[in-house]
Amino acid sequence: MKSKAELVDDLNHLMAEEVEAFLRYFQLRYRLRGTDWLAAESFFDKAMDETLEHAQEIAGKIRSLGHTPKLEIKLSLAGGPIKLQEALAEALEFEQQALDAYKDFLPRVEGDTMLEDFIRKQIATETEHVQEITMLLE
Amino acid sequence: METWKEFEANELTHSAAHHLLAIDELGAKYGGWARVSDIAKELAITRGSVSINLRALKKRGYVVTDEHRMVKLSVKGLEIVQAVQSKKAAFKAFLVEVLNVSEHQADIDSCKVEHLISHETTERLAEFVEQFKHSQPSHTR
Repeated sequence: MKSKAELVDDLNHLMAEEVEAFLRYFQLRYRLRGTDWLAAESFFDKAMDETLEHAQEIAGKIRSLGHTPKLEIKLSLAGGPIKLQEALAEALEFEQQALDAYKDFLPRVEGDTMLEDFIRKQIATETEHVQEITMLLE
Repeated sequence: METWKEFEANELTHSAAHHLLAIDELGAKYGGWARVSDIAKELAITRGSVSINLRALKKRGYVVTDEHRMVKLSVKGLEIVQAVQSKKAAFKAFLVEVLNVSEHQADIDSCKVEHLISHETTERLAEFVEQFKHSQPSHTR
């Protein structure tokens, strides 16, 4: 079992993954071009809502541990118009990493019922995201 | 020489250079293979950022990945790393030996130009440092 400070540190990293994913979805949404971009916009809107919601949940967990969230991201997003297939492939990359990050974190919270339940729920949700994007890419 | 031409034509960014250097360093203990999580920790960025950046590096043939999402430098990537390291070493030696800049500051400044200076300049710089060292009285070396 990790110390509280180490847990908070890990939670801050997970929160950064989610906030960054939100920003990436935001930017990808407005780069989208091609025949199916209108239909795809709702997918990106939903993804933005969910990633932001996840970040907020993590921030809440950090606060419940008696700390304040620390957000450290280094990001510069650019790029021209993008086709849906390429945008989804990019989304799959960072969604897969978010899933891996939650999976790596799970053994570190064993014994902490609140965090363990939360991380298991996140793994289930992220697994669904990865599967959904993978199916869209097939 | 071909590698250098390719290097310059590809316009390797500072960030890309550091990703390659991190993979080289982290992979040293594991047959060249590095984990995305370790690269993210090393570079103090998110795993998402690393994976997106690696995607671009993979497309350009600098890295390869396996089914476990482990990453390794390709031959081309390794050549880039060696080139960047030799440029950094040459520039740092110039700063320390000739300009008498502190090791710490020289490390920072050489890092800023390591992926930008040309092969020709690196060679001349290294030659100049050697000539300079030999031209100095032994007690000042």
